[in-house]
Amino acid sequence: MDCSYFRERINQFMDGELGYLEVAELQGHLSFCADCAAELAQMSEVRGALAAWGRLELAPPPGFAERVMAAVEREPLPGAARPFGRAVDDALDKLDETLGRVPLPGGRTIPVRNVIGWGLAAAAVVIGLERRHLRRSRELNPS
Amino acid sequence: MATSNVHKWAALPDPSPAELARAAEGDAQAFTLIVERYQGMVYSVAFNVLGNHTDAEDAAQEAFLRCYRKLSQFRSEASFSTWLFRLALTASVDYQRRERRRPEPVEVPDLVDEGSPDLGDGVTAAALTSALHDLPADYRVPTVLRDVYGLPYQEIADVTGRPLGTVKVMVHRGRASLRLRLRAQGVRPAAVPAGARPGSDV
Repeated sequence: MDCSYFRERINQFMDGELGYLEVAELQGHLSFCADCAAELAQMSEVRGALAAWGRLELAPPPGFAERVMAAVEREPLPGAARPFGRAVDDALDKLDETLGRVPLPGGRTIPVRNVIGWGLAAAAVVIGLERRHLRRSRELNPS
Repeated sequence: MATSNVHKWAALPDPSPAELARAAEGDAQAFTLIVERYQGMVYSVAFNVLGNHTDAEDAAQEAFLRCYRKLSQFRSEASFSTWLFRLALTASVDYQRRERRRPEPVEVPDLVDEGSPDLGDGVTAAALTSALHDLPADYRVPTVLRDVYGLPYQEIADVTGRPLGTVKVMVHRGRASLRLRLRAQGVRPAAVPAGARPGSDV
């Protein structure tokens, strides 16, 4: 077997996915292949460094908490009435999370659902005006 | 074996049920305490997934907004910090999928605790941050979720919306690429001990 087979095995070993026979097979290869032995040692060090990095706490930029609270205060109260019911609101929450918020001039953002709501309201107004215009046209030109 | 780093954050004292209830009802003071207590955790997750301060701040803010909206749905079966940690992860991964930003220069973040972190032989915070930054996002995100935060592969597949086999391949390539990038930066891992064997402490 060539080393590419064992390189894959090294990853599986580090993930704890090998059975004892497969570990023994890898062990046998590493006993005479210095390159693969070096790969295992170095990959283990990389993983150790990544895990150590994950235990460190990074400092948020100055004023971060204040900016979060300013955004929170623009949100509707979490206990506010849910006129469309929980299922519809949950679907709208998911839409917001997928599509994100829409930026406005001045750095503010608004939820996608608000844009959709305004779009539906504008469409209703346009349709209403169009129907009114058609009705008046028919009254003026009955033929 | 990968051990989850979630436990580290779970060691933070959870807000009391009364504090959580007040925050869930929209009490700004109660929610401010939550933001101040957990901002380091949420920001760290966002930075490690996204690799730059601008995106990390946006995604971390989004995580707290989701927390605010969903706080009434929090059930105390899990610890609050674990629940918020997952919100931060999914908000960051969603942000990465949604946004297509130009690559930014490498930014080495400040640490809450002063001093040089011990990341192992020859690996510095600057070298690791730079190597992670240079990874393509398709490799970086699953590798961070797996090896920085110890998530199971199936959970990474669920969070990223990619097939399980694809996620494994990306993590394997991410690790290999990180190893090469660290070496290219002059990091020389310790010599291989004679007779290195699986079964040693990896």
